[in-house]
Amino acid sequence: MAESILEVRNLEIRYVTDEETVCAVNDISFSLEKGESIGLVGETGAGKTTTALGIMGLVPDPPGEIVGGSVLFEGQNLLRMPEKNLREIRGGKISMIFQDPMTSLNPVMTVGEQIAEVVLLHSKMSKGEARKKAMEMLEQVGIPGGRCDDYPHQFSGGMKQRVMIAIALACSPELLIADEPTTALDVTIQAQVLELMRNLKQEYGTSLILITHDLGVVAKICDKVAVVYAGEIIEYGTLKDIYTDKRHPYTIGLFDSLPDIENESAELKVIQGMVPDPSCLPEGCKFHPRCPYAEEGCKHGRMEPVSVSETHMVRCGRFRGGEV
Amino acid sequence: MNKHSMLSEIWRRFRKNRQAVAGLIVLVLFVVVAVFAEQLAPFGYDDQDASRAMIAPCLEFPFGTDNLGRDVLSRLLYGSRYSLSIGFLAVGISVLTGGFLGVIAAYYPKLDNIIMRCMDLFMAIPQMLLAMCIVTALGSSLFNLMLAVGLSSTPKFARVVRASVLATREQEFVEAARAIGAGNWRIILHHILPNSISALIVQATLAMAGAIISASALSFLGFGIQAPMPEWGAMLSAGRKYIRTQAYLTVIPGLAIMVVVYALNVVGDGLRDCLDPRLKK
Repeated sequence: MAESILEVRNLEIRYVTDEETVCAVNDISFSLEKGESIGLVGETGAGKTTTALGIMGLVPDPPGEIVGGSVLFEGQNLLRMPEKNLREIRGGKISMIFQDPMTSLNPVMTVGEQIAEVVLLHSKMSKGEARKKAMEMLEQVGIPGGRCDDYPHQFSGGMKQRVMIAIALACSPELLIADEPTTALDVTIQAQVLELMRNLKQEYGTSLILITHDLGVVAKICDKVAVVYAGEIIEYGTLKDIYTDKRHPYTIGLFDSLPDIENESAELKVIQGMVPDPSCLPEGCKFHPRCPYAEEGCKHGRMEPVSVSETHMVRCGRFRGGEV
Repeated sequence: MNKHSMLSEIWRRFRKNRQAVAGLIVLVLFVVVAVFAEQLAPFGYDDQDASRAMIAPCLEFPFGTDNLGRDVLSRLLYGSRYSLSIGFLAVGISVLTGGFLGVIAAYYPKLDNIIMRCMDLFMAIPQMLLAMCIVTALGSSLFNLMLAVGLSSTPKFARVVRASVLATREQEFVEAARAIGAGNWRIILHHILPNSISALIVQATLAMAGAIISASALSFLGFGIQAPMPEWGAMLSAGRKYIRTQAYLTVIPGLAIMVVVYALNVVGDGLRDCLDPRLKK
């Protein structure tokens, strides 16, 4: 078995305010091997971003609170690590690309300075060397190195996202977390950025957690898929498991709701109902109010994961008791 | 990275703003005057001569003489030393103290209430009274005067800085900076402060005007600058008694204060514009 680089076990994160407690992440577990990529798929508000922030140790506290679980990165539990050591890992070994490239760059620093900043923080390079490295990284993501002294507002959205990727990869991290890296970009730029990420990932051997709600993007670069619903992974497996042998009614619904270009039906299929309010989640299976197959048994108790095959896990009452 | 080119870039942008450049020239002139007051002044600042008291502006005394026969021009030139240094240093003190407290309050929510309630407490005391208390406690001298003026406007700076840091701190690039492993101080100094500095610059230039005036008021009350020393505010107050007959005694130092304050304001405005790369054309 290949070396496991990241193992998230039973992660639970809540946002506690005076009015309500939002259970953003409930019992999420997955593992990632070196060089592998996993896609976290789900609707807005499913807890994907919070999971990513939890791994980075960046959940805003207050109101965020990591209630339980562990995040093992190269065998060390990040949740118990002192802030000082965490800071060395952030940007150095684990880096993150944020959703909106427009606001994730500091407007008053040149892009070169911002790439050099992460290099200076994590290596013993001199300022001159860091600047050279920054130019190299810019070239790597397809921006002329000479634009190193330009400010973020002089770049287009797609180029800003490339700059973010350059920052994220500047220290050759072991793990890259990309939080909806293409959501804010238009389709042609999306394709370029994805291509770029895939190439760089292969070149550096970086593991990747890709957070998205776009199933097409996942199919393009991920090895494994985790479908997240209401803070839980409801189905987990290899790309093939999920795309050809999906089991959970929610996953099926998610795929059914993709518009089909060949079959010109008048209406798009939708999953009935709404994502549950994470401050008062339903009992039992969290999907049962929307599930067409819901039975009495789904409404109570805890839904435990069931293995379909060695790589494929589903959290659904229909597969309880082994009959898959 | 290249410091030289960055400064020249800022200068290039600053130069485009004609008003700001004019303001800067005026300020530089005043600083030169302050430095070379001894060489420039035709008389000493306390050369009294009862025989030439209250002469209206003429060729020999371009700005006239006061009730003790002292040349107003010479006093004005010497006075620029005190007024300018009070303006700059007092505001420097409030920028440092207020800025520091404001950033800490905004960045560390746990300290926010403690710091800001203390600031509120200070704000509840009239600024002039507070300054007088400080000078009385420390003894009256030029430096204590600056300290008093500076410290008494600290709360205003703390509020302004806190407000703009609070807004900046929620920006995504701050989170991104945290995600690359930057420490708190690095985030504050490199990411938050440069993005919230414009409010501080404007506040500082405005406050400089206020500081010069507060210092004059304090001088008038006998705190700080003592009698024969020429300070614009003190000259203004001294001339007040003769405003009906010898208006120039108040108008001239008043004009000097006004010109400096206006120059400071346009320079501050221009500085804010050229420090912000987003406004670059």
